Amino acid sequence: MITGALDISLVQLLLGLVFIVAAGVTSILHSLGLERDLLIGTVRTFVQLFILGYVLKFVFNLSSAWLVLGVFAFMTVFAAWEIRARVRERQVSFFFPLLISMAVSYFLVAYLVTAVLVGATPWWKPQYFIPLGGMIIGNSMNAIAIALERLLGDLRERRHEVEMKLCLGADYKEASRDIVRGAMRSGMIPSINSMMGVGVVFIPGMMTGQILAGADPLLAIRYQIVVMVMLVGATAVGSLLVVLLVRKMCFGAGERLLLRSM
Amino acid sequence: MTDHLTDAVIEIDSLDFAYPGGRPVFENLSLTIRTGHFYLIRGASGAGKSTLLRLIVQLEEPTAGEIRFSGRRLAEYPPARLRRSVLYVQQTPTVITGTVRDNLLLPFRFRANGDLPPPDDRQLSEQLHRFLLTDVDLQADAKTLSVGQLQRMCLIRGLLLAPAVVLLDEPASALDETSRKVVEETAEQLCATDGLTVVMVSHRRFNPVALTPVTLEIGRLGIERVE
Repeated sequence: MITGALDISLVQLLLGLVFIVAAGVTSILHSLGLERDLLIGTVRTFVQLFILGYVLKFVFNLSSAWLVLGVFAFMTVFAAWEIRARVRERQVSFFFPLLISMAVSYFLVAYLVTAVLVGATPWWKPQYFIPLGGMIIGNSMNAIAIALERLLGDLRERRHEVEMKLCLGADYKEASRDIVRGAMRSGMIPSINSMMGVGVVFIPGMMTGQILAGADPLLAIRYQIVVMVMLVGATAVGSLLVVLLVRKMCFGAGERLLLRSM
Repeated sequence: MTDHLTDAVIEIDSLDFAYPGGRPVFENLSLTIRTGHFYLIRGASGAGKSTLLRLIVQLEEPTAGEIRFSGRRLAEYPPARLRRSVLYVQQTPTVITGTVRDNLLLPFRFRANGDLPPPDDRQLSEQLHRFLLTDVDLQADAKTLSVGQLQRMCLIRGLLLAPAVVLLDEPASALDETSRKVVEETAEQLCATDGLTVVMVSHRRFNPVALTPVTLEIGRLGIERVE
C-alpha cells in the first residue's frame, strides 16, 4: 500500500492558477464582472489554507488536549456567528442558545466518533478530532440555520394558528408542536438525502482526499460512512436542541407568543 | 360595594399598554365587565379594540396596571384555565387541517383540558344544529366551509369548553349580510339564552333585538360609555 501522496511543489501549485486565469478570461469576455471576486477568492484560498496548514501542523506537533479543544471551540463560535448573521432575527437574541446547542451536540458527536467509532487514543488526538470536528461543524451549521429560519418564520407566519391553540388551552409546546416538527424536518432532510446520493451521484470530498493521499479505497469508504452517520447525528441533535431552546424564548409568561410580524 | 364584588367578572385597573417601540395604545384605562351583560366595543381601526381583548386573555402583557378575572389577578391562574373560562374568538377563523370533527375536538387534545370528557358526535351535531350549521357534516373537510360557517364552527369549538365569558373580535367583519346576521344573533343568544357574559368588538353599528348592550367607545382619551 502506498502511504502518502505525491508531492505538489510550489511551482506546480502556482501552475494551477491557469484555471483561475481561464475563469477570469471567461468573465472578461462575457462581461460577468467577476474578476475582482475571483482575484480576492483566489488570494483568500491560498492565504487561509496556508495558515490552516501551519496551524494544524503546530497543533498536531504540540498535541495538547486544551489546544485541540480551543481550536474546536473557536470553530464552533465562528460557525454560530455565521448562523446569526445569516438568520437575521431582531426580536429574539438566540446566539447563546445556538452556541450552547452547537457546542453540546458537536462535541458529543465528535467525541463518540473519535473515541468509539474510530478508536483514536487519546480521544482528542488532533489528527482525528480536528478534521472530523471541522466536518461536523461545517456541514451541520447549514442544517441548523435552515431549522432555525424555518422555526422563526413559521411561528410568525402561523401566529394565528398558534394563538388559536393557546386560547383553547394548549401550552406553548402543544401550540407549536407542528411548527417544531416542520423545522426539524427541514433541517434534517438534506443530510438524509446526501446519504441517498453518496457514492452514486457524487464521491464525497473527504473520501477523494483520502484516496488521493494514498489511502486504500476500502478504508476511505469506512471513514466516509462514519462521516455520513456522524453528520446525520450532529444535524439531528443540534437542530433539535436549538429549535427547542429558541422556541422557549419565543414565548413569554402566561403562554404568550412574543414574536411579532416584521 | 357588595354589588361590585359579586357582579364584576373582569376588572381592568389603571392599565397602560404600548406595543414594543410603539406609541401608547392605552393610558390609565379602567373598566369593569359585569356578569351576564352584553358589551359592544366600538372604535376606529387601530384604536385598540382587539388589543383590549388580547390583554384580557394574556396574549399581550400590560405595561402597567392590572386585570382581574373573578377577583383574582390574571397571573394567579394557570393560563389554560383562564383561557378556558374567558374564551377569545379571533377575528379570522383559524382551523387545523382535517374534518369538522377534528376541529371541534381539537381542545380536548390539550393536556390542560384532560379533565373534560370529549363530546360525542350526537352532542357535536346538536351544537352545529343550534348554530344553524345543519347542513354541515362532521366528516366534511373543514377547509370546504364558507367563512361564515367557519366563524360559527370556531365559536362552537370554544364553547365546548364551557366558558363564562366570550370575547368576540369582529366576528362578522368578513361576512356577507346574511351570515353577519346569523353570527350576531348567535352572539346575542349566548348572552340572552345561555347567560354568558359577551364582549363583542365591532367596527360597525349593531342593534341587538333580544337585549340592550352596554356600548363602549374606545377613543384617544380611553374608553367611555355610549348611551
